[in-house]
Amino acid sequence: MVSIHIRGLVKRFGEVVALNHLDLDIAAGELFFLLGPSGCGKTTLLRAIAGFHLPDAGTIKFDGDDVTKVAPHKRETGMMFQSYALWPHLNVFRNVAFGLEERRLAKPEIKRRVDEALAMVKMDGLGPRRINQLSGGQQQRVALARALVIRPRCLLLDEPLSNLDSKLRIEMRSEIRRICKEFGLTAIYVTHDQKEALSMADRMAILDAGNIAQIGTPEELYRRPRSAFVAGFVGETNLIPGTLTSVSGENYYIRTAVGELVGRVVSPDWQPAQGEAVTLSIRPECLSIDSDPPLQNPIAGRLTESIYLGETAQYALKCAGREEAVHISELNPRRVIRDTGAAFYATALPEDIVILPAS
Amino acid sequence: MSRTLAITVYAFTATFFALFFVFPIWHTVQEAFVTADGKITFAYFTELFRNPIYVEGLVNSFYMGLFTTILALLIALPLALISNTWEFRGKEILNALILVPLILPPFVGALGVRQFLGQAGVLNTFLTDLGLMDATTPFDWLGEGRLAGIVLMNALHLYPIAYLNISAALANLDPAMEEAAENMGCHGIRRLFRVTFPLIMPGLFAGATIIFIWAFTELGVPLVFDYDRVTSVQIFEGLKDLSGNPFPYALVVVMLVAAVFFYLIGKWFFGRDNFAGSGRASTGRSHRVASPLVGTCCAGIFTLVTAIAILPHLGVILLSLSNDWYGTILPTALTGQHYEDALGHPLTIHSIANSLKYSSLATGLDILLGIGIAYVVVRTRLPGRQLLDAMAMLPLAVPGLVLAFGYLAMTREGQLFDFLIIGEDPILILVIAYSVRRLPYVVRSAAAGFQQTSVSLEEAAQNLGSTPLRALRKITLPLIAANLIAGALLAFSFAMLEVSDSLILAEQQQHYPITKAIYALISSLGTGPNLASALGVWAMIFLAVTITGAGVILGRKMGALFRV
Repeated sequence: MVSIHIRGLVKRFGEVVALNHLDLDIAAGELFFLLGPSGCGKTTLLRAIAGFHLPDAGTIKFDGDDVTKVAPHKRETGMMFQSYALWPHLNVFRNVAFGLEERRLAKPEIKRRVDEALAMVKMDGLGPRRINQLSGGQQQRVALARALVIRPRCLLLDEPLSNLDSKLRIEMRSEIRRICKEFGLTAIYVTHDQKEALSMADRMAILDAGNIAQIGTPEELYRRPRSAFVAGFVGETNLIPGTLTSVSGENYYIRTAVGELVGRVVSPDWQPAQGEAVTLSIRPECLSIDSDPPLQNPIAGRLTESIYLGETAQYALKCAGREEAVHISELNPRRVIRDTGAAFYATALPEDIVILPAS
Repeated sequence: MSRTLAITVYAFTATFFALFFVFPIWHTVQEAFVTADGKITFAYFTELFRNPIYVEGLVNSFYMGLFTTILALLIALPLALISNTWEFRGKEILNALILVPLILPPFVGALGVRQFLGQAGVLNTFLTDLGLMDATTPFDWLGEGRLAGIVLMNALHLYPIAYLNISAALANLDPAMEEAAENMGCHGIRRLFRVTFPLIMPGLFAGATIIFIWAFTELGVPLVFDYDRVTSVQIFEGLKDLSGNPFPYALVVVMLVAAVFFYLIGKWFFGRDNFAGSGRASTGRSHRVASPLVGTCCAGIFTLVTAIAILPHLGVILLSLSNDWYGTILPTALTGQHYEDALGHPLTIHSIANSLKYSSLATGLDILLGIGIAYVVVRTRLPGRQLLDAMAMLPLAVPGLVLAFGYLAMTREGQLFDFLIIGEDPILILVIAYSVRRLPYVVRSAAAGFQQTSVSLEEAAQNLGSTPLRALRKITLPLIAANLIAGALLAFSFAMLEVSDSLILAEQQQHYPITKAIYALISSLGTGPNLASALGVWAMIFLAVTITGAGVILGRKMGALFRV
């Protein structure tokens, strides 16, 4: 398994800059996620690593080897395509065997390894099936087996679960992670589904318009985002603009349209100055709602919406001086507040109010 | 459309097909198996296969179909692959020009081929002038019996069908299928053979089948080459004494059976799975931008093929302008006289008027039938609608000659449909014949239109108070107008070019359509071929304008019109 090192990667499509001087290091054996909204460049980056895009500038190295200009068929990556790209004129066995045939392996060796790969994805015995006789989940497993059987230097997955129903998707998440870890694979996984990324990734990168917005473990990205973009993209959040008025120890006092709030700065390399404009990020599940004013961080407003979802109850609070409602999510609600129109207070602990650069 | 109306349309179109597609074929088959006193017999066939001239005709027809198909594929496949891979300057216009030969009348072009490759033709004269050939022993480029010349002309006429089919198949191919092969280490030519070709095989086969059947039964080109050792010409010759002669019937049946047989064999080998559309394309296909050198090569190949394909017709233009062109590279004297003569000749004015009349009436009928059939197939759940759909596409696969023959047989005096010949005017049967043969183009384009237009648009109009028929007329038909126009233009162009029906069904000079007038002029002495060329050029100019219109409206979708 290889480590992957990307330096100054640029890819333009006409006027559009898909990758903008991008640097990235992925350790050997790591399950690394590329996450971002559509058009952020994540698929372009993956396809550049596979060799399908020749970058305009920059280098891609597998361990020490510079593979930037190596043709796709010599790059020894195993790619799983979003559409699976299983060849309908070949059966399951021949699809999986294809890469080994290209490597001129002996027939018995091919048979042994294909059977092994099919067993690994729990498709043993289905070798003679035709591709169009398979369900979506089975096709997905065959595509994975086809990518794995050649023992690639790294595994590349392009939204592999996006065509599956949600139940199967959750099942396949742990399946893919199990296989990657079992074989110590270096894998790069592109998705726009943040739950998929949070639940599977060792580390992940959030891409925004061809740039890496932040790299880190799922907890880091969720708990300690560095920008409003990251906070908003990974999970739900309330973004509230404000101005820093004073600092006392870890407590930063911010004046906002909904009142003065106390929060924390979580990034080690950014410190706001007094009077600087900032953005607060407060996750809905960090907020609680009550009819009595709290001691700290009160956000006053009128209840406009109350939705009961079983495991959570979601409330929307309309505050004076703010267009957007503040969203509150209460876990394990024992009693649902239904009196919309009435005045309520939302509040959060200072450690749950994250101060970010103004967006 | 209400259910009653849908059923009415269904019944009407199905009856039309039964009467004018199934019945003529059935009628011919019957004549071939039944003796004068009503007994079933196979004697005509045993007799036929014992006659070496008929057997040779069949073998030659088979070669004509096979070699034309192979040559057409050899021309079209590289072009389609280049166009699918590279982006180069002038590609769009070259992509359109490459299709032009399809609408140039091949039996007119055959005049040009004769002029270029004949024993005293341009090529031999050129070689003699260079001192590479002795004028007394000219080389015969057209081959023994001129089969080579016929195959060349057919292939140069029909390769656009293969090009359109292969291009459409390549465009439908999920690029990830090829990328997955690259990713697995399979590259270049190897990838082409292991992944790309197997996946486009159904599209390639669809094109090849139509080319084979067209060429297998081609009548006009061998007639111009004066080559009577193919079945199509033998049937045509046999028409002169149809009454009491069962052999033309038997030959037509053999030809039909052979066409169906080859079609089924091919379908069984290549067409079992339809791979098109399997798997959603995850990435749009991006064409590589060619470097100036590669781009010039690509453009050069396209230009060269187009130039070669229209060369026979350029020869026709020269022929139409020449006073004397024999044993020289270029005509020795040019003149505009033939155009004037052509317009003054009693045959030509009538024939142009006739062709316009027959073709526009046939196109009108096609539009009506096409909308009806497409609607029933796409928008209703009536049982048996797929059969109707398949039936409407079958005229592409059934040789035109077979149908023409059937029409002739069923409208002879004393037959059930002799009322379709008014006096001696074949207008009704010709319009029907033209429309049946061209119906597939209109049905396909109308069906594509219905599929792209959501039914909810019509429902919204009904919800606001439109009757179903008004909703169809006010909402859907305007939305699919572009498709209908394109299909109708194609139907019209091909009707103008129709050979078998025209040659066989129009018997009186004043009823000749253009194609039969050209044929009559070619076989007349003196300036006949020049006059024929002049008339051919008029027809070509006319068709070039219509087909360009269709191409502009339909773009890439044009490939879908040539599939069975």
